[in-house]
Amino acid sequence: MFEGPSPRLSERAMTRTTDDELIACWRDEPAPLLPVLHAFHDRDGYLSDDALRAVAHGLRIPLADLYGTVTFYHHIARIEGGKQRPRVCDGPVCKLNGCDALLDQLAPEGATAMPCAGRCDDPIPVLRGDEFLVGRVGAPLAAEGTPLPPPNPGGVTECCFAHIRDAGRASLAGYRASGGYEALARAVQELSPAELLDLIDASGLAGRGGAGFPTGRKWRAVAEATGEPKTIVCNADEGEPGCFKDRALMDHDPHAVIEGMALAAYATGATRGFVYLRYEYPHTLRILEGALEEARAANLIGPGILGSDLHFELYLRRGAGAYICGEETSLLNSLEGKHPFPRNRPPYPVTHGFEDKPTAVNNVETLVSVPPIVRHGSDWYAALGLGEHKGTKLISLSGDVQRPGNYEIPIGLPLRTLLDEWAGGPRAGRSFQAVTMAGLSGGFIGSEDFDITLDEPCLRAKQSFLGAGGVMVFDDSRDMLEVARQAMSFFAHESCGKCVPCRIGTQRLTERLAGDAGPRDTELWSAEVHDIGHTMMAVSACGLGIAAPLVTESLLRYFPEQVAARLEQRT
Amino acid sequence: MSDDTNGYELSLLELDGEELKFRAGETLYEVAQRRNKDVPTLCYDPRLEAFGACRLCVVEVDGIRNPVASCTTKAQAGMVVRTKTEALEKHRKTLMELVVSENPEATIDPLRGMASQELGVLAERYGADGSRFQGKHSGSSRPDDPNPMIGRDYDHCISCYRCVRVCAEQEGDYAISIKNRGFGTQITVEFDGFLSDSACTFCGQCVQTCPTGALNDLRARKHEDTPGELEATRSICPYCGVGCSVDIMTKEDTVVAVRPAMDGPANEGALCVKGQFGWEWIQNPERLTKPLVRKGGKGGELVEATWEEALERAAQGFAQVRDTHGRHAVYAVASGRAPHESAYSVQKFIRAGFMSNLVDNCSRA
Amino acid sequence: MSNPLADMELPDVIFCIGTNMTETHPVAATRLKKAMRRGAKLIVADPRRIPLAQKADVYLPLRVGSDVALLGAMAHVIVREGLVDREFIEARTEDYEAMSQHVTKFTPEWAESISGVPARDIEAAAILYGKAERGAIYYTLGITEHICGVDNVQSLCNLVLMTGNIGREGTGINPMRGQNNIQGAGDCGALPNNYPGFQPVSDPANQAKFKAAWGVEVDLEPGMTKVRALEACGDGIQAMLICGENTVVSDPDRKHCEHALRSLEHLVVIDIFLTETAALADVVLPAAAWGETDGVFANTERRPQRVRQAVPPMGEAKPDWWIIAQIAQRLGAPGFEWESAKDVFNELCSVSETYAGLDWDLVAEGRHHWPVPEKGHPGTPVLHVGEFLRGRGLFKTPEYRDPAETVDDEYPVWLTTGRRLAHYHTRTMTGRSVGTQFLVPEELVEVHPDDVRDWKLEDGGFAVMASRRGEILVKVKATKQSPRGTVFCSFSFGDVPVNTLTGSGYDPLTDTAELKVCTVNIEAASTAPA
Repeated sequence: MFEGPSPRLSERAMTRTTDDELIACWRDEPAPLLPVLHAFHDRDGYLSDDALRAVAHGLRIPLADLYGTVTFYHHIARIEGGKQRPRVCDGPVCKLNGCDALLDQLAPEGATAMPCAGRCDDPIPVLRGDEFLVGRVGAPLAAEGTPLPPPNPGGVTECCFAHIRDAGRASLAGYRASGGYEALARAVQELSPAELLDLIDASGLAGRGGAGFPTGRKWRAVAEATGEPKTIVCNADEGEPGCFKDRALMDHDPHAVIEGMALAAYATGATRGFVYLRYEYPHTLRILEGALEEARAANLIGPGILGSDLHFELYLRRGAGAYICGEETSLLNSLEGKHPFPRNRPPYPVTHGFEDKPTAVNNVETLVSVPPIVRHGSDWYAALGLGEHKGTKLISLSGDVQRPGNYEIPIGLPLRTLLDEWAGGPRAGRSFQAVTMAGLSGGFIGSEDFDITLDEPCLRAKQSFLGAGGVMVFDDSRDMLEVARQAMSFFAHESCGKCVPCRIGTQRLTERLAGDAGPRDTELWSAEVHDIGHTMMAVSACGLGIAAPLVTESLLRYFPEQVAARLEQRT
Repeated sequence: MSDDTNGYELSLLELDGEELKFRAGETLYEVAQRRNKDVPTLCYDPRLEAFGACRLCVVEVDGIRNPVASCTTKAQAGMVVRTKTEALEKHRKTLMELVVSENPEATIDPLRGMASQELGVLAERYGADGSRFQGKHSGSSRPDDPNPMIGRDYDHCISCYRCVRVCAEQEGDYAISIKNRGFGTQITVEFDGFLSDSACTFCGQCVQTCPTGALNDLRARKHEDTPGELEATRSICPYCGVGCSVDIMTKEDTVVAVRPAMDGPANEGALCVKGQFGWEWIQNPERLTKPLVRKGGKGGELVEATWEEALERAAQGFAQVRDTHGRHAVYAVASGRAPHESAYSVQKFIRAGFMSNLVDNCSRA
Repeated sequence: MSNPLADMELPDVIFCIGTNMTETHPVAATRLKKAMRRGAKLIVADPRRIPLAQKADVYLPLRVGSDVALLGAMAHVIVREGLVDREFIEARTEDYEAMSQHVTKFTPEWAESISGVPARDIEAAAILYGKAERGAIYYTLGITEHICGVDNVQSLCNLVLMTGNIGREGTGINPMRGQNNIQGAGDCGALPNNYPGFQPVSDPANQAKFKAAWGVEVDLEPGMTKVRALEACGDGIQAMLICGENTVVSDPDRKHCEHALRSLEHLVVIDIFLTETAALADVVLPAAAWGETDGVFANTERRPQRVRQAVPPMGEAKPDWWIIAQIAQRLGAPGFEWESAKDVFNELCSVSETYAGLDWDLVAEGRHHWPVPEKGHPGTPVLHVGEFLRGRGLFKTPEYRDPAETVDDEYPVWLTTGRRLAHYHTRTMTGRSVGTQFLVPEELVEVHPDDVRDWKLEDGGFAVMASRRGEILVKVKATKQSPRGTVFCSFSFGDVPVNTLTGSGYDPLTDTAELKVCTVNIEAASTAPA
């Protein structure tokens, strides 16, 4: 199993490499399907029928399954030259920034729209092959690095972002300059895995990807579960619209991710790990590959880490474009080369994860939080929160606000403080109308409720949640019914299709928001929308279907008059 | 009902107010089935791994916020479960209305397949008549597929994935797959081709588990207008030596279909293309319907005769050879295709009729 | 089969040899596929790259007719690697030493030179099977339809005995019966050497028993096999009753068969269609078909099950038992006064030891595997538990022999024959069903694409294929399913009578024809058939 480093994912586009060579390159590694598919995709610029036949034969996957699974992913091109065709982000914020005009502008190159590509703090992201560009209407596409988070406007102590702005931080030397890998060294030399688990428990760190499950408990469950090998998966499939914090972390602080995963491995007894990176971050892939090579060369990954018994092998895997793969069990199926439907739970990944073995799936931010906690202690981290809340949360703030960007907030920070004091308030001459929470998954908070604090208990009371920390701002110039339609259309586009309420419900809600179908009468319209929403929230098989109706429910709660007026227009 | 607890461990849960024992690993749906609870479902096939697509089988469990799919939820000691409440029935009605809204109609001919009436029955039960949640329909049919066995009317598909799963888990062919996602989900095969160009072996298991008749038996559907009630007679497949149990489906005196028996010990619901679709020879016009005897010596013609004449001729021939050449001049070959009674009669015909052992069957070639 | 079908989901190592199971026993194969889904390993030995071979962990593409060499080498490796089950051998077998001595010369390298299978793959297969906790062997006619069919089976038995893979769940040696009731035909005594229930006719106790039961004298000697009877037609055998068999198309050496049947003074055929064989008869009697009669079939796992009448017989067709009883009565034979299929079956149970515990009502649900020696007995799903029929399992020392014909300059190509999924035997049934006929509307000889090129054939074109016994015109299909130098044809199509070519030899002990091997010459045809 530990046969040394993987070939670089980003460098397999050798045009003269044969089918057999490409397959042989990955066949004996864990989770080979995605890298093999990308290898063919990169070599040929699309996935031909013959390529699928070769992969099916080489990896012994039924051809029909492989064909179906490939069609599930947004970014695998099946027509010649398809990979190089520009994809233009049409996420909620890019809609505000004129992505439709940019799409028209790039139409001669065969441009198509893609869901939110995680760069909402910048002009419109465009993916062309493996180039990650930004576009402005009327200007040529430009390659620009990921913006750094602005200096913390509140002057509060940061955990994840404390050193991210340090020069050279992305290199091993730069990372070490401010204490990087000291936590790992301390853990393997001074702490037992049990002590590390106690430390994480005491810090109050909880999953920062959305679900908020206590990290210490998750790791402990993996440590105590039977079955080998155990696995750490870093969920870097940052697909939630309006979320771009993980990209900033990985681009500017990649070693923090690696160190966090190594610490997770030490705590749980895992011997292998995967970073599951979303397709839309090709530049991040190259950064992580470089960091991984440095880390491996420095004995921070691989056998006998830092002279200890810790043996942890780390693999990078690139997704292929599917929001649902951010859902952990869907991600695991995707890694395993299966159709990326979510799994039924229980059993949970902590006992039956990757290849049915105990697995901890953690978000990038969660893992990056771990090294500072180990260095500074659990009390330090817990005290970063306001009041009874423990720790910090990264917020990706975007939309109609003066200074969009990633902010590390103490959990419990008032929303108004973030919007007005940290981010400079609304655009000139405008006032806030609403924000989204958890990207799109938490629905809307109308400005009448802007007195809330940013923590789960407070947000739950407003039938929303903080989730992955995407906050998109809409000012009074925006048509909230149209914003809701776009949001539901995204969920419909990304619904995996496994369960009835989500598969049909997201479609029917989109049709009703668009006026394509459904009653015109406000009362009947609302009854259908509520009935669908309530059933989706109650019985959907995973979080997508449960969360999607928060959009319509909050729309009807905060903006009933906009809905009524629009329906009136339609009759 | 002491029978219900035979072989079950002493773990207990409460189901609709009744304390029940269950076996480790049993799902709530299985426990409910055992108590004959009428929990609706469209994606369940007892032979397949639980999947949880239709969500109709949701039940309430104390301590869990949302209802859970009973088919995917393992019973645990102390659970308090309700299978039928006003809230659950409301969700089920909404789900059925959603399902019906994506299809042209729920009522279809039962000849399409064994499970084809499931959608129609539940739609009626929940009053899902297509009037609510109107919108786009899903699934594109494949009338262009030239195969004369399996109809592919995907406009009737509700994406329960039973066909995909039965093909993988029961048949092991992995011919059927899922294209696209969400509302654009389309059941298909490799490269969207015809079934005969795919890994499909036409075993028909997808047809028989389809709850809407979207996948359907085109041979049987030739008899949609044949008069008579559809009836089943249990038998054993007449092809290879596996001995699959089948139901011969008839309308009055006409054979209209063959279906696998779910409780057949050798096949447990499986068949192959021959057993499933190879039955039209039975009432074929080329069948022999009258005895034939050769008239005019060896070079003569075979002509129709009465049974009496033919039997007399048959017996005379044997008697003549016996009397001329002795009893060891008569031989008989029994069939490996006919029932025991045939083979037993043939060997007894030789042994008791000619007191020899000059008999064999067709197993050597 | 030594083990029931349900057991096919249980092995951890599956060894399929001479069985194209996904096509010939598809539903049984689904169970193997389930076992593989659970992680079982699969070894496939077959000259053709059949669908099962594509699923195999180890595939052994042996030259047709080289099974004894291959299997002997596997035994050699199992001995060499110390993978034998000493305890089992000591407790339950005899003559192990003779066998282990015998296989010392069967080195994998030698077997490679005979079979063409790389020695390392033979070793891999032997080690996989040798280490299996539950190893199960499945075979079909690819093992038995050879002049060395008995040697092949004995070679397999050696593997089973030396590894103790018998008498337990998920193990065993499992021949798959090819026809719905070929097991039953044997059970019923339609054999020249056995009374019903496999009671040897040469045993005086059995002779006495049947004398008493039927009230007639009996012969003390076994009869002859059908193969010998066909040879004796017109010269010893002068009258024949053929019930439900299309001998002319299904038996080897078609010309010889036709000639034999034409030589008879009297031929009576009972069938449902006017087959090529029935067309030669003096009297043809229309039988009630499947679905039109009640009765019993016994499947490959020795499970008698009831078939039932769903519709009335077509026209004046009658059940076989009724027709035969009518003729027998006219000949003055005693004991044919049956009134129903039930009467016949219950009489069988009364004279058969293996069916002694069964009756018409008990087989209604098909819950028993025979032997069922007395009423109340639960049946015998697994044979050879604790003890073999003869007591100890006997190792044998079969030698490799070439097939009856080997390739030469005149006939340089191996021909092997078998079935395809969509068709059954001579297509009397599947040829009259729209779906199966759609899938395979015509016969094609399968030739490796490189051979198609080298032999100047054309994919889709016609070829003349000739053996020492005759020649046929057949369309060519280029496919890598055939290995170089070996072609495949089914025997299903009357217009491509491949049995014109086969019939090179017979197993000396069983008279089973070597339908799996003969040598042919194949050339592009100058004209298509009219």
